Amino acid sequence: MCGIAGIARGVPRGVDASTLARMAAAIQHRGPDGFGYFAGRRIGLAHTRLGILDLQHGAQPLANEDGRVQITYNGEIYNFADLRHELAQRGHRFATATDTEVLVHGYEEWGTAMLDRLEGQFAFAIHDRRDDSLFLARDRFGICPLFHARRGDSFYFASEIKALFASGEVDAAPDFAGLDEVFTFWGARAPRTVFREVYALEPGCFARWHDGRLEFSRYFAPAFDEARTEPADALAQLDATLRASVARRLRADVPVGGYLSGGLDSSITCALASAGSPHRLRTFSVSFSDATLDEAPFQRLVADSLGTEHAVVRVSGAEIATVFPRVVAHTETPLVRTAPAPMYLLSALARQHDIKVVLTGEGADECFFGYDIFKETAIRQFCLRQPTSAIRPRLLDRLYPYLGHGGRGGAFWRRFFLDAGSPDDPLFSHLPRFRLTSRIKDFYSAETRAAAAPHDVLAELRDALPAAFGRWSALARAGYLEMVTLLPSYLLASQGDRMIMGNGVEGRYPFLDHHLFALCATLPSGSKLRGLREKEILRRWAKALVPPAVHARHKQPYRAPDAATFFGDARPAWVDELLSSEAIQRTGYFEATAVAGLARRCAQGRATGFGENQALVAILSTQLWHEHFLAARARPAPLPLDRASVAWHEDPSTAPYAPTRSAAPSIPSPFSLRSCSTTRS
Amino acid sequence: MQHDEILTLTRDYIVENFLYMRPNAQLRDDESLLGGGIVDSMGVMELVQFIGDRFGVTIADDDITEEHFGSVASIAAFVAARTSGANVA
Repeated sequence: MCGIAGIARGVPRGVDASTLARMAAAIQHRGPDGFGYFAGRRIGLAHTRLGILDLQHGAQPLANEDGRVQITYNGEIYNFADLRHELAQRGHRFATATDTEVLVHGYEEWGTAMLDRLEGQFAFAIHDRRDDSLFLARDRFGICPLFHARRGDSFYFASEIKALFASGEVDAAPDFAGLDEVFTFWGARAPRTVFREVYALEPGCFARWHDGRLEFSRYFAPAFDEARTEPADALAQLDATLRASVARRLRADVPVGGYLSGGLDSSITCALASAGSPHRLRTFSVSFSDATLDEAPFQRLVADSLGTEHAVVRVSGAEIATVFPRVVAHTETPLVRTAPAPMYLLSALARQHDIKVVLTGEGADECFFGYDIFKETAIRQFCLRQPTSAIRPRLLDRLYPYLGHGGRGGAFWRRFFLDAGSPDDPLFSHLPRFRLTSRIKDFYSAETRAAAAPHDVLAELRDALPAAFGRWSALARAGYLEMVTLLPSYLLASQGDRMIMGNGVEGRYPFLDHHLFALCATLPSGSKLRGLREKEILRRWAKALVPPAVHARHKQPYRAPDAATFFGDARPAWVDELLSSEAIQRTGYFEATAVAGLARRCAQGRATGFGENQALVAILSTQLWHEHFLAARARPAPLPLDRASVAWHEDPSTAPYAPTRSAAPSIPSPFSLRSCSTTRS
Repeated sequence: MQHDEILTLTRDYIVENFLYMRPNAQLRDDESLLGGGIVDSMGVMELVQFIGDRFGVTIADDDITEEHFGSVASIAAFVAARTSGANVA
């Protein structure tokens, strides 16, 4: 993957190349292999390249045959070879072997309808010089990020928000509704972000900018039209779809590795990748010194059984604390968990081993109802059908044995789940999580409380649900909520793209293949969660593929040490500084006396519950976020323009292209092509 | 120890350790500790530890119920009954 950025002006006053180079500098970590730009009369594009396909000719921005259509693109189109063949038959001429060029010609041929044909993960902007328009699109599930903002008559976009700020033309201010969403859903829900008037293009959507107007459209939305019974050929369909998905994601001109958590999903992706890879597969894992969080024995078991070249990064709490400021700088949002930090160290490990692309198991828990929240939903529903039952709530003990404290106090804590909400509430499945997370708001300052008050983020989510939502099963509704809350805003973003691209590594997600999702979404709930056995059909299918011990394992949620990491003997000085009353009052988000109480309990080792752990992480990360993005106004130095692999300069005195295609070959180019060398990768 | 003293010590402990983030909150003696989001499952264990240490009460697993630990008043009643040797249902 790569980094993209750009600017569109309402009037043709030009986009300065150095501004584009500064935006590119802010996201250079996404593409350390090259940099290019298009400085146009109204529109400018920038690109930082992570070279994966056609290393010799893939520099961007990339144009069609006559330079009328320009693209800056981040992602992978897995069916690009098929599309290229089809486009070539229709007369399009290709100069490279990249998927990028397929998008350019695909857009020429099919316009925005091209999106329905794309299989993969992508965010791109296409500048159509025939009408001076800009077409931006994002993949179906939100794997690749794309943010945008408007200031004055100008429109800005980028893979990461920091590139918008780096332009020097987009100011940063907190969005309290966005923050309130982080402290409810774990991440701001697109299009909202934690910055005022900075937005995320929603997954499955595209936008068109023309003459200063911006219009949004949706081309994909997840739907769960479950069958009543499992089709007889469901296993065969799953087999074909999953194998094809992994095979497509192994295509690269560099070696592809795999993340290995020790669970079922990544064991499957690594097993299929190992079988299909031309190289001995390299696998990478995170290990923790805390045995309750560690999965190293299972990781080793899988690595040994597959014969992979395995590497492990063993992460301590001190390392999490050390790297946490960098993590927040990459995520661009406050966090409620430290779990992204080990993922950042994991991508660094992959990069140290010269691996630029890794497959991960992300997405399987959404497709196959793997998370505890699905079981929790089923149990709560079962209990509430007979509220007086003393036996039914004991199922929660099986689900969350670590909450039972060895059988102590079970009757007490079970009420938290049973009283969390009515099954009639569309958000029923997620109310315990939302309410638990919302305890962070107890620490809000009066000002934050007042600023967030006009926004009822739960009501907004209810209002945004699709019309068909009420017809879906309770588990399907839970699946949809996962896919529009946690997945795009946290798992694929804060814990996904930002952590992996922070070290210039591309993540590929075989379980987020849209064909596979379509198959899973039409399977009955019972094929995915049977009783309290999650991912039932996937387990059935994978029985011969993964070691028996892994096959038999129940889902272990990925967790990392939280509050305690910031209160060890070797804690960084910034922890005390940012939690001081002075710092808390200066930033103003939280109540200083409340934070002092929390810090005291953390220092005493008494903050052991989820509520206080997440509050500490939320407060510290908010302080770091503020210091990095709102207090410090430093802008990165622009990337040197003379180092650009591609540098297009549009002559501002020339009229734009006429919106005609037939005369294309004879239209003189208004470009002065200063340099167009290949990328240094 | 008198019931009112148990009540006060228990309330003070809860305010100091579970309500420090809500300095203006007034904790009623009959207020639900769980329903009000005042203690979570780890908090209950911490409370059990405090009650045991501070009042010298041995608490069995089956004692940890909402009936006994659901509010300041119910905790005080439970402790008072135990410390006076009465049988607590």
